[in-house]
Amino acid sequence: MKERKVVDPEYLLKEAPREKKFLIGNEAVAEAVKRANVDIGVSYPITPQSEAMHLVGDIYAEGYLKDYYRAEHELGAMAAVAGAAMGGARTFTATSGPGTLRAFEMFPCWAGARLPIVCAFMCRGVNSPLTIQPDNIEIGWLMDTGMLIFHAENPQEFFDMLLQAYVIAEQPDVHIPVGVCADGFFVTHTREIVEVTPEDEMLPPYDPSKSPCPTMDMETPPIRQIRDPFVMKSNYISYNAHASWQQEVRAAAERSRKHIAKYLGSSIEVTNPDAEILLMASGTAAAQARVAVERAQKDGIDAGLVKVKVIRPFPDKEIRELTENPKAILVPEHNIVGWLAREVMSRTDYTKVCGGPRVFGGMTMPPEVILSEIKNLARVI
Amino acid sequence: MIPKISPGFEDVLPVEYRELVQDGSYGRNLRIKDLGTFKESIEEHPLCAGCALSLSIRLIVASLPCPEDTIVVGTTGCNSILMPQLAIHNIHSLFGNQNAVASGLKRALKIRYPDKHKDVVVVAGDGGTADIGLSMTMHSWFRRENITTIMLDNEGYSNTGGQESSMTREGVVLYMAPLGKKYPKTRMFEIARESGCAYVAAVSPASPRRLEKMVRRAILVARAIGPTYVQIYCPCATNYKFSPSETLKRTKDDEQIREYMSSDAKELIERLGE
Amino acid sequence: MHFPIILFLTKNWLESHMASAICSQKDYKVVPGPEAYLSPAAASMGIVLPEKGQGLIEGQIVSEKVAMEAIAKKLLGAKNPTFFPGPNVLWAVSEKAVAKAVALQEMVKAVPGMKIIPMPDYRPKYPMINPEVEINPNHPNLTIWHNEIDVCVFAGVHCHYANLALKIIRGGTDCYTIALCANPGHEDAMISLRDVHVEDIRRLTKVIERLREGSK
Repeated sequence: MKERKVVDPEYLLKEAPREKKFLIGNEAVAEAVKRANVDIGVSYPITPQSEAMHLVGDIYAEGYLKDYYRAEHELGAMAAVAGAAMGGARTFTATSGPGTLRAFEMFPCWAGARLPIVCAFMCRGVNSPLTIQPDNIEIGWLMDTGMLIFHAENPQEFFDMLLQAYVIAEQPDVHIPVGVCADGFFVTHTREIVEVTPEDEMLPPYDPSKSPCPTMDMETPPIRQIRDPFVMKSNYISYNAHASWQQEVRAAAERSRKHIAKYLGSSIEVTNPDAEILLMASGTAAAQARVAVERAQKDGIDAGLVKVKVIRPFPDKEIRELTENPKAILVPEHNIVGWLAREVMSRTDYTKVCGGPRVFGGMTMPPEVILSEIKNLARVI
Repeated sequence: MIPKISPGFEDVLPVEYRELVQDGSYGRNLRIKDLGTFKESIEEHPLCAGCALSLSIRLIVASLPCPEDTIVVGTTGCNSILMPQLAIHNIHSLFGNQNAVASGLKRALKIRYPDKHKDVVVVAGDGGTADIGLSMTMHSWFRRENITTIMLDNEGYSNTGGQESSMTREGVVLYMAPLGKKYPKTRMFEIARESGCAYVAAVSPASPRRLEKMVRRAILVARAIGPTYVQIYCPCATNYKFSPSETLKRTKDDEQIREYMSSDAKELIERLGE
Repeated sequence: MHFPIILFLTKNWLESHMASAICSQKDYKVVPGPEAYLSPAAASMGIVLPEKGQGLIEGQIVSEKVAMEAIAKKLLGAKNPTFFPGPNVLWAVSEKAVAKAVALQEMVKAVPGMKIIPMPDYRPKYPMINPEVEINPNHPNLTIWHNEIDVCVFAGVHCHYANLALKIIRGGTDCYTIALCANPGHEDAMISLRDVHVEDIRRLTKVIERLREGSK
């Protein structure tokens, strides 16, 4: 194994010196995994994720991980990291669009089993017809699995969020999986300056003794233990036990808010919150919206931007407060269903919310498309 | 871990735990011949009368070479209803993903306990192993994972009410095969052998001593060499609609005892005197 | 058109199902039940866990000292105080676990009439549990009802299962729940301490003894 120094998570995330590198998103992922002191990586190829897990394989070969292999398919990969996490290991895996769907049964299973797995989702469109291009419709499906969901705008955020994800996921009061999502190609294959922490400093190892559920190693009591027990009787209390279990998983996500505030700073980033027209966006749509808002402001339109970084737990309170005053809210998205618009609409006066513009199937979102919607709105409000 | 009660709590634990500590099988290298003389690591469970599968699990548990360091991975099915009653750490994740879960688990335990053998044993039904989980079963063999896979072959989906599986025999009428199954029983023994299992065996609970020998061999070979597979024929009285009192006779009549071992496995088994 | 079922829903039921923070109650209190058909997880009602050195009383953050005093008072005032030790203290897996078990037994001795009923594991027990000899996280209410337990203390239970049990107890019984947690605590208990180790249990025992002597 590579000789490295274990450092305090808060130091690593906030204070450690940073070196500038010119990286694509997938390279930033491997750089994060290198510093996360991951025990086991399990991979399966799919565009646009593959390169990230190639690179994780490379750092395994260099001695940064203790084990790594290519699984039979995404369901097998996600099941293997579950088994490893139940055995007390820190794990990493990643996938994209169709792979997410192939593996989907595991995501609520991870959350229900209280496993602090970190998984990167390099979002892409799903069949049919086949596309390998950027489209983040899968986030809309992942939102209700019980996992925490972060959405990175660029390679820098992808790097930071992955490290933050491990620290937050493994808090004993949280201890649920985190999906760190980034829009395929726009982030995974775009080269940008990424400031990374020193290569020889890493997070402390995962401590399974603090897990809210017994680790499956035959060293942790009770020995008469199944992960995870189900109550098979048909009566009120059996159903109530399952309902309480589900509530506890959601409660764990609620508890993560405090740790998100500590390690991510905030679930949102706001520019000009008192604007008449407020844009709400996440991922690369936020980057495009930022340009559009700047141009709108130059044209004399009172526009602002809320970038949503954390999709689960959704920043309810912040969004509710921010949506009170603007006359109109615009939600540009890289998917056809408008999952972010749905989230915003359910937390405010929905008549103010204009879901769009939306592009998908690989289409880019030129700032002009957003700007033209802002201008249309400015005319009618 | 050999369980020990914290001082002062000996009297408050329920009797089945006190017995487990005083008279359990952990660290004692007990055998099937000792059944009846020690506290077994299995409690009362709700499986049907005349269930050959539950008898098989009882025998498997009694055959484990190191119950104190064994983790069982099950899957959805009749087995999963019994599993919560085992005094051995065990996992239920999804239907069919047991060999993938076991792969990750085994690798994690190798990392965490480099100087100790932690035996990971998959115990799953025929539907879980040969149908829905076949790719994950076979790939764990291709990858040469150090795990033992035990299939409880009751020739159908019993927990869901008696449907045909690929392990059902040709011509048998079950749910979802209303005109009789149209193709023969899947040859899992041969598949396991050709997929890289170092030790493959077929047996039934009607031959308990033989079952014990095969389970022990499979686990010891998995530790040192690579994947192993044991197929246990355990017919289902409920869905095949025979009297529970006939179970053992039927099991005996139809059991096929087979064994394959690679040359490495043979050498190891001989060396260990197993 | 409204669905007719809405007519039958009580305010309490509706509130308990509004899981998002938007609808969380400003005044939600974690108090003895029976609370609801399906009681909410306290964390989803805006209750947050204490920081180091703090405790929780009925959802309010207080100092650890105040929480300890409150625990002592509740235990000494109880008709039928009961301690539920979990696997992490029942089993002698480490010196720490044994020391904790011993300290907890000293605490039990300090409370007149306090009983011990273990939570030895988390399995759905078949065919049924005997509520006189154990408590099960899947149906903890049975043990509370059967033994008429009015105040209980959890320690050594894995956090996930402790929360399930605490919530079900609040949902269906009027038992006052206390959690001595080795991790960050339990919002679903009426009183919770966090980071509880041997010395903290000894301190709690001293508080109990002091209050008991004072009331004589």
